[in-house]
Amino acid sequence: MSEIVNVENLTFQYKRGLQPALKGISFSVNEGEFIGVTGPAGAGKTTLLSCLNGIIPHYYSGNLHGNVIVDGITIAQSDFRHLANHIGTVFEDPDFQMVSISVEEEVAFGPENLGIPSEEIEARIQTSLEKTRISHLRDRAISTLSGGQKQRVAISAVLSMLPKVLLLDDPTSELDPIGTHEVFSAIKELNTQIGMTIIIVSQDIERLVENADRIFLLSGGELVLSGTPRQVCMQNEILERVGGRTPQVAEFAISLFSSLGRSLTEKQLPLNVADASILIQELFDEVEVG
Amino acid sequence: MEPIIHVKDLNHVYPNGTHALRGVSLTVYPGEFVAIIGQNGSGKTTFVKHLNGLLRATSGEVWVDGLNINEHTVSEMARHVGYCFQNPDHQIFCDSVEKEVAYGPKNLGLSDTQIEGRIQESLKAVGLRDLRKVHPRDLSKGQRQRVAVASVLSMHPAVLNIDEPTTGQDYQDGIDMLNLIDRLNQAGHTILFITHDMPMVARYARRVVVFREGEILLDGSTREVFREIEKLRSTFLIPPQITMLAYQHRDFYPETILSTAEMVDQTLMHLNRHLRKPW
Repeated sequence: MSEIVNVENLTFQYKRGLQPALKGISFSVNEGEFIGVTGPAGAGKTTLLSCLNGIIPHYYSGNLHGNVIVDGITIAQSDFRHLANHIGTVFEDPDFQMVSISVEEEVAFGPENLGIPSEEIEARIQTSLEKTRISHLRDRAISTLSGGQKQRVAISAVLSMLPKVLLLDDPTSELDPIGTHEVFSAIKELNTQIGMTIIIVSQDIERLVENADRIFLLSGGELVLSGTPRQVCMQNEILERVGGRTPQVAEFAISLFSSLGRSLTEKQLPLNVADASILIQELFDEVEVG
Repeated sequence: MEPIIHVKDLNHVYPNGTHALRGVSLTVYPGEFVAIIGQNGSGKTTFVKHLNGLLRATSGEVWVDGLNINEHTVSEMARHVGYCFQNPDHQIFCDSVEKEVAYGPKNLGLSDTQIEGRIQESLKAVGLRDLRKVHPRDLSKGQRQRVAVASVLSMHPAVLNIDEPTTGQDYQDGIDMLNLIDRLNQAGHTILFITHDMPMVARYARRVVVFREGEILLDGSTREVFREIEKLRSTFLIPPQITMLAYQHRDFYPETILSTAEMVDQTLMHLNRHLRKPW
C-alpha cells in the first residue's frame, strides 16, 4: 500500500492565537484508507484539515512548523490553485460552499475554471453525480434540495476535480437522520468502490466506528489516540477524559465485564448492536449451561 | 391541572401551497419535558412557531398559558413562551451579552432595577455571569447558545421552546446544554425541545412527540415511544444503540432500556438470577 498523506511534527499557531492550535502532530495515511477524526470543540480538527488542503498557510498565515505532504506535494511550497486536483474539501454547511444555482453548474464549476474541454467536463459531471447517487437531481435548483442532497452535491462538485484525497469537515452535523445516512453511505461507497482516501471529521462516534479503518482522537491540539476503532474504543477512559464517548454498546460491554470481574479482550469488544447481541447471547447461554 | 399548551386540529399551509401541518392536536401540562423528533420537513419547527405566534394557524386553535394565541401579538406572547432558534446567530443582535439579555425586559417597560435583576438571574441560570460585558462574537458557539437562552429567560416565560440545542456542538457542550435545560425544567419551566439526537432524548426527555409529514405519528412517555421500533423506522428514526440491543432480547428485557447503566443493571440481575452461584 502506498502512502498518500504524510504529516511530520506539524505545529501551527494562528497569527492571533494565544497558543498553538496543533502541537507536534505526526501520522501517515495510506491510499484507500478511511480515517475518522474526532475530538472536542477547539481540539484542532478543522485546523488539521486546513493544513492538509493548503488553506494553511496559503490563506491563513501563522507560525507553521513541520511538514505536510499530500499525493507527493509539499503543501506549504505548492501552488494553491493546483491543490484541488489532489485534495478536495467538503465543509460543515453546504450552503457556505455552493456558488451556483443548479446542481449541474455546481459540479461543472471546478473543471470549467481549469479550462478543461467540454466533453471531458460532461463526462466528469456524469461520473461525479453517479458516484454520489444524485444523477436524478442534475437539473434541479440547489435551493430546492434537502440537506443530505445538498451535501452530496458538494461532494460531487469536489469529485469532478478528480482528487485523490477527500476531506470532510463534520459534513452531517446540520443534517437530519436521513441526510446523515445518505452522506455516510455515499462516502463509504466512494471509499470501497473506487478506493478514494477519506479523512472525515465527525462527532458521530457510532458512524466513525462503523465506517473508518482508523480513528484519530485530537484534544488540545495533540493527537492523543490513533488506531483501529476497536483499539480506540478500548481506551474509553481517555475518550471520556477529553469529553468524548464510545458507542453505547462498547460502553455497556466494558462496564458489564468490569462488574462481573472479567476481562474483556479487544476482539470481544462490540462496536455495533449486532456484535453486542451475540455477546449477550453467549453470556446467557453460558449461564444456562453452567 | 389546566394544560399550559392546548393545540386543537392545527393546520398550516405555507403561501407556496405546502401543507406543513395536518390536523395536529397536542396538550402539554405545566412542568413537562417534551422532546419533539422527526425528519426535516416533518413539521416540528412549523409547529413550535405557532406557540408564540411567529406563525399563524391556517385553521385550528392554539392556547398557551391560558391565552388564545390569535388574540395576541408575538411580543405579548414573549412573556409566556420563549423560543430559542437552532442557530443562536439568527437570534443574537446586540454588541454585548448584557444588552442582549436586557433587550426583552426593556421592551416590557421594566424599571432599571428590575432589568438589572433580570440580567443577573438569567446570566446566573446559564452560567455566564462573568461574561456580561463581552461581545457575543467573541464567545464560543456553546456560549452564544447560552446567551440566546438567557435573553429568552429574562422575559420569565412559562414555556421554553428550544430548537436543536445540541446541533453543531461537541458531545460535552451538548450534555452541558441539556443539563442547563434540565435545571430550568426543575425550576418550573415547561420545556419543548426539537432534536435529532436520540441518545439525548433517551437521557433527558420524559415525553416524546414524533412528527411525520405534518402529523403526529407517536406521542407518549420516552419509554413508550422508543418501544415502537417499527413505527419509528417508518420515518427513518432509530432509538439509541442500547435501546435497540435490549429490544432484540426483549424476552430478557421486558421494559424499554434507555441508558447503558440500566442495561448493565438488568443484565447483571438476569445473570445472577439464573446462576446457581452468583458471579
